[in-house]
Amino acid sequence: MEHYNMNLTLKVWRQKNTDAQGKFETYPVSGISSEMSFLEMFDVLNEKLINEGKEPIAFDHDCREGICGACSMHINGRAHGPWAATTTCQLHMRAFKDGDTVTVEPWRAASFPVVKDLTVDRGAFDRIIEAGGYVSVNTGNAQDANSILVPKDQSDEAFAAAACIGCGACVAACKNSSAMLFVSAKVSQLALLPQGQPERKSRALNMIAQMDKEMFGSCTNTGACEAECPKEISLTNIARLNREFISAGFTYEK
Amino acid sequence: MKWSQFFNTSIGKKLLVGATGLFLCSFIIVHLAGNFQLLYNDGGKAFNAYAAFMGHNEIIQLIAWGLKIAILLHAFIALQLTFRNRAARPVKYAVNPGNQTSSWFSRQMAIMGSILLIFIVIHLADFWWKFHFGEIPTQNYGGEEPLKDLYTVVQVAFKELWIVVLYVIGMIALSFHLIHGFKSAFQTFGLNHVKYNGLISFVGIWLFGILIPVGFAIIPVVIYFK
Repeated sequence: MEHYNMNLTLKVWRQKNTDAQGKFETYPVSGISSEMSFLEMFDVLNEKLINEGKEPIAFDHDCREGICGACSMHINGRAHGPWAATTTCQLHMRAFKDGDTVTVEPWRAASFPVVKDLTVDRGAFDRIIEAGGYVSVNTGNAQDANSILVPKDQSDEAFAAAACIGCGACVAACKNSSAMLFVSAKVSQLALLPQGQPERKSRALNMIAQMDKEMFGSCTNTGACEAECPKEISLTNIARLNREFISAGFTYEK
Repeated sequence: MKWSQFFNTSIGKKLLVGATGLFLCSFIIVHLAGNFQLLYNDGGKAFNAYAAFMGHNEIIQLIAWGLKIAILLHAFIALQLTFRNRAARPVKYAVNPGNQTSSWFSRQMAIMGSILLIFIVIHLADFWWKFHFGEIPTQNYGGEEPLKDLYTVVQVAFKELWIVVLYVIGMIALSFHLIHGFKSAFQTFGLNHVKYNGLISFVGIWLFGILIPVGFAIIPVVIYFK
């Protein structure tokens, strides 16, 4: 693809802290290369702001290679911007044209309070994992391969669910701010494997109870989460979570 | 987890909404089949006999009360979930993706459901209340007892343009509600399988979303122009 430079108008959400009233600020940026990532464009803008003695824009980022899930930006109405299966750091400026106006907002959910500007606190996800998204076993040495048989299809499905990076795009994209896609991936990756069986029922019940406690909305099966997920987690996981929860609710003795 | 806790979780509530919704779906098939008798030119003989049977048979009456409870439960829990869902995003986005990430129908469930609820109240007041508790004329078709002439009440009502328009709007809301609602209930029950998804979606969109609402809407329109 041909390289080009562009001038953009950015409308960015600025919010001093969780309790402060936020508002949009407009920033012109010029000479942006189509080869830059979206975050690099923010780096250029922040350097300019610092040189002018202004407060740089706070945003989350860590690996910048699409696997940490930190770069939570809602760009022109889309979680992680217009490209499918992409995090913000993997979004390149060639997604935009010269003269575009780009609106950048933080994830908007009561469960993800804004810490500052575009940074949100996704601690609610950690607390859901703490409620049951693990396997309580002594790890010890690795077992011989094939000592526990796992069908290939099942292991592939578990792996696809385990690709979830907990970025929160599902919550951001959902009109109800529902965390069902995230929870379904975390329940599925263990429900599909032998190691997850002992705590299977309590896991589904406890993680959903925690999800509700964190005040995420409920799922209305619109499919927006799947469309925006950078790791392409499938809606079939939500159906599996529903099955896990129903069967646990009907049969778990505690 | 106790039953009371189970049905108070978000998924537990959704199960109740889905189950009552599918129950109501099964009802509208029967209701439409009966309604087509309104198009007979028999002076209401078939329809009034059918109405008398439906209004007096104990088992049908039991199911009819079950339906009313299902409607109230469905609406109450769904609205409760909707308010909760709205509260989960106190600050709205300045830019929304529109139809890029989800279908328009899937986002209008609460609006269409609310229009339907209002429609159902008006509809029940119009015919069900009048039939059971109001004064309506009777007709004798040569049976032992004269029958309540609900047929004529309906024919008179659907000569009013605004009532016809109201019923067509109600059926548009039913259509839009079921295009997403029918298949959504299956996903909530965890019934998502590559071999059946196509069938569920087809039945939801074409039978419940289009054919049945169009069938209902045709009746007042035909009577109006008759």
